[in-house]
Amino acid sequence: MDNLPEDLPADLNLMEMRPKIIGARVQRVEDPRLLTGTGQYTADIKLPNMAHLAFRRSEMAHATIDNIDVSAALAVPGVIAVYTAEDFYGQITPPRAESKTEGFHSTPILPLADGKVRHVGEVVVAVVAESRYIAEDAAEHIEIDFTPLPVIADPREAVKNEVLLHDDAGTNVLVDRTFGRGEVDDAFSQAAHIVGGDFRTTRKTASPIEARAAVCEWDRGRRTLTLWSATQVPGVIRDTIGDVFGLSGSHVRVIAPDVGGGFGCKTCLYPEEMVACAAAIKLGQPVKWVSDRMEDLVGTNQAFDEYVHAELAVDAEGHILGLRADVVGDSGAYSIYPWTAALEPVQVISFLPGPYRMPAYAARTRAVATPKTPLGAYRGIGRPTATFVMERLVDLAARAAGIDPVEMRRRNLVQPHEFPYRTGSGLVWDRVGFIESLDAVTDSIGYDDLRAEQLKMREAGRKVGLGVVCYAELGGIGSRIAVAPGMPINTGVETANIRIDATGAITANFGTASNGQGLETTLAQVVAEELGCRVEDVEIRHGDTSLMAHGSGSYASRSAVLAGGAATVSAREVRANVLKVAAMIMEVAESDIDMVGSRIYVPGTDREMTLKQVAHTYYQEMGRLPKEVREEVPLESTRSFDPYLGTAACASHAALVEVDPVTWGVKILKYAAAEDCGRIINPDVADGQMRGGIAQGVGVALLEEIIHDEDGQILTASLVDYVLPSAVEVPIMDVMHVESENPDNGTGFRGLGEGGIIGAPAAIANAIADALDIDIREIPITPEKLFRQTGN
Amino acid sequence: MKPPPFTYVAATSVAEAVAALAAHDGEAKVIAGGQSLVPMLNFRLLAPAALVDINGIRELDFVDATADGGLRIGALTRHYTLLTSPDVAERFPVLGEAMRHVAHLAIRNRGTIGGSLSHADPAAELPMMVTLLDATLTVAGPGGERQLAAADFFDGALTTVLAEDELLTTITLPPLPQPHGWGFHEFAQRAGDFALAAAAVVLTADDGAAANVRLAVMGVDENPSRIAAAEAALVGQPVSDDTIAAAAAAVREAVDPPEDLHGSATYRRHLVGGLVERAIRDAWARATGNAGGAA
Repeated sequence: MDNLPEDLPADLNLMEMRPKIIGARVQRVEDPRLLTGTGQYTADIKLPNMAHLAFRRSEMAHATIDNIDVSAALAVPGVIAVYTAEDFYGQITPPRAESKTEGFHSTPILPLADGKVRHVGEVVVAVVAESRYIAEDAAEHIEIDFTPLPVIADPREAVKNEVLLHDDAGTNVLVDRTFGRGEVDDAFSQAAHIVGGDFRTTRKTASPIEARAAVCEWDRGRRTLTLWSATQVPGVIRDTIGDVFGLSGSHVRVIAPDVGGGFGCKTCLYPEEMVACAAAIKLGQPVKWVSDRMEDLVGTNQAFDEYVHAELAVDAEGHILGLRADVVGDSGAYSIYPWTAALEPVQVISFLPGPYRMPAYAARTRAVATPKTPLGAYRGIGRPTATFVMERLVDLAARAAGIDPVEMRRRNLVQPHEFPYRTGSGLVWDRVGFIESLDAVTDSIGYDDLRAEQLKMREAGRKVGLGVVCYAELGGIGSRIAVAPGMPINTGVETANIRIDATGAITANFGTASNGQGLETTLAQVVAEELGCRVEDVEIRHGDTSLMAHGSGSYASRSAVLAGGAATVSAREVRANVLKVAAMIMEVAESDIDMVGSRIYVPGTDREMTLKQVAHTYYQEMGRLPKEVREEVPLESTRSFDPYLGTAACASHAALVEVDPVTWGVKILKYAAAEDCGRIINPDVADGQMRGGIAQGVGVALLEEIIHDEDGQILTASLVDYVLPSAVEVPIMDVMHVESENPDNGTGFRGLGEGGIIGAPAAIANAIADALDIDIREIPITPEKLFRQTGN
Repeated sequence: MKPPPFTYVAATSVAEAVAALAAHDGEAKVIAGGQSLVPMLNFRLLAPAALVDINGIRELDFVDATADGGLRIGALTRHYTLLTSPDVAERFPVLGEAMRHVAHLAIRNRGTIGGSLSHADPAAELPMMVTLLDATLTVAGPGGERQLAAADFFDGALTTVLAEDELLTTITLPPLPQPHGWGFHEFAQRAGDFALAAAAVVLTADDGAAANVRLAVMGVDENPSRIAAAEAALVGQPVSDDTIAAAAAAVREAVDPPEDLHGSATYRRHLVGGLVERAIRDAWARATGNAGGAA
């Protein structure tokens, strides 16, 4: 302040003084802890007298369980208990996610397979022992008599209901839903060009570096259950576990400590969590289960896996007239809790029309039960498939109409004056940078020059192709829209509690949970900016259900928007109260003081107090303040935030690839992505989200596939066969953030977490199709497939 | 993914290791770097009664340049040592190049040449290299040592002629003609993975004609092998598009590739031919002093 010329107007002084914290490249506050090995993950939890849990899992895809002989396992020294399904009768009420969506049939989530198994890897018997080694040794000694049942592994066959997976559902088709608007048949009859056909995205798995884990402790005296779980949704787990065991929420505490990635697969209640709790209650000793990678590949909910028939009708100038789609999604064995089997396949048809004007649309989607690992949530949910299909269609239509693919997109993107735009599926895009992101990405790669260069390289015999794609998504969704259609929980609200304690320290509690994406940093930035303190002054707490009455967790690109919104309103209230109290102490008008960097001062004077001094006076100095102030002006606020609707986010991606005509390997020569995530809280975190998502998209496009044979056996049960991209396969990329007009949702933030993986598979597929002048209908695009498709 | 119980024996000499193997009557496995063995234990694909740890046998960790221009390599030599050895780079540059394709840094720091050869994965680089380079393998057993030609060491996928109480101790590489040209091409979907196929060529240019030709492939049969018909197609004439095509055709004809999730036999047969062509071009370019033009 002393450095500023005194003749500046006071408010300009303030503007100059106030550091901009939202938007700054603040280093992640969690990184020193995580990078020096002093983080605490669920597997790091060690409790006195803790026992270890291992499972005997099904080797059969579909079979009745005729007999289980556990006697040899019980005889292994160090074994504490062995449980089968009937041991939990009366203790566990299996949860069932219901949905109001049309044509929906629910399935239970069972702690252990009961009477029959429905997928390879399903948990059948639980062994608790003094060590995980002993538990695994004992699990090998369990004898299970199975009678095989017919396996219909292909969901397109399973729809015929010749063999039912769930007798009580009465059908394998767990969801059958249609969307539409406009006269699609007319659109197709007027079309100059109709393109399309059958597309396929195969089954994936999220594969976070930390697999799932659970530690459960039962306090017999207080009848209180504490569950540490590597979950993204501690709030959902707390609410559900309470119902499962008939305990009130105040007697269940779920803690998600440091979590090493989730990408959606840790957003469900899993059988192993229920078994760990049930065993801890029965035994009165803590029980730990840490998934190994093999268990993760057969027991963690998997992803995508759709058959899509889609056709696009365009006029002679390339204007889109209409779109038809029929989707069959392979839901695996169970409808997941709480999101249901509707989640993934319904999202495909919700987002298929993309960021384009779509006068007519008709789509049907079915979620079909098959004897495979359940299909769950994975970053992008439905949108990677939707974008792959739609962006292939747009390229095919551009080719049919003889129009450059980028020009084709420009002609069809919803234009700025058309927002808000209701898409064919009913989603509404608010003002967002469709055009701006396409401009940014084509400028960045130098589209026209690159096309010329590509021509030269191709003349020299190189198989080089360029793919450009656009997509839109909906994030930061409020209570008006369910994250998964018709499901029973409220995903539209988050709550923050911010308080200044007697020492002057600021603690901000949240109902959401970070799974590694940097929430402790970004939420601290929001609190610091709104409250008027430094980032390092704010202690962020999250991932613990004892903190808040309600909260769900991190998924659906929501935490920055919803928890960030709650942080904003709560911090503003605390700030107002701090200023009110400080004004009283300093005997000045509230309007005359300001707070920056935890210093409360009267601008233009040397009068100031630290937040610590204000807190000390407020809490400790009896008689300094009227009693009404302490009773009515708390240095604490608990406020919820519900954006009601959601906000659009969008991006354009471009990939330049080269295919080796000997190996048919694909090399990504250049990659660029530009997205509009609204007001950016931390550019480094935003970059990281994009880069990580694109890396996963490279895996989706080129490498990753969970493969089952026709008997439902999984053939990719290790990371040798399930091929994840490594640093070498991930291209150097140019990531850009465009801010069009920030959404009017209270904060200006848009959801960002999932975007990268949505665009990358489509961009790479389009580039390969361009390089080889072939159509690409299926991902991943492997050397073997390219070899065969090019006529070998 | 925890291993079943086993007894652990830490050997400090070859004699001790061999005695421990013999004492367990075929139920013991040798552990060196453990990069293949430990995953197999954790998957419970193997349940040996004992593990004989040879990491303490210092006398097996060496790379010696021999007077004849060859190398003697101790079985406990880590991949990283071979990758960074100046003697390897100078005398057997094809081996140095192949080492760049062996797994990842962490694995190279632990994995050993003896372990890789004894494990005999059909898609591993080192079995291919000892086959290409006509190595002699020294094996110690209860009755003393015996010498085996590399070509006689491998006996099908993941199988060797090592008896259950024998330990591979030394790999001897006879000298290559100097100067020589060499080429190595491998393809894997992901860097560091086991190869879908690989090809390696060593040759000299004698008066403008290819001579001393050695050509080996891997990933396309139960064991790596030299392809005599392909070598013959190159010997005695300048390398040309025609002789390259003939050599590749001979390779495609000779191999019997496996089918798995990552590639069909048809694709691998196509692939190995293409890699052979590239390896020959590189080798010839180097032999004729046109290495700058090698792709």
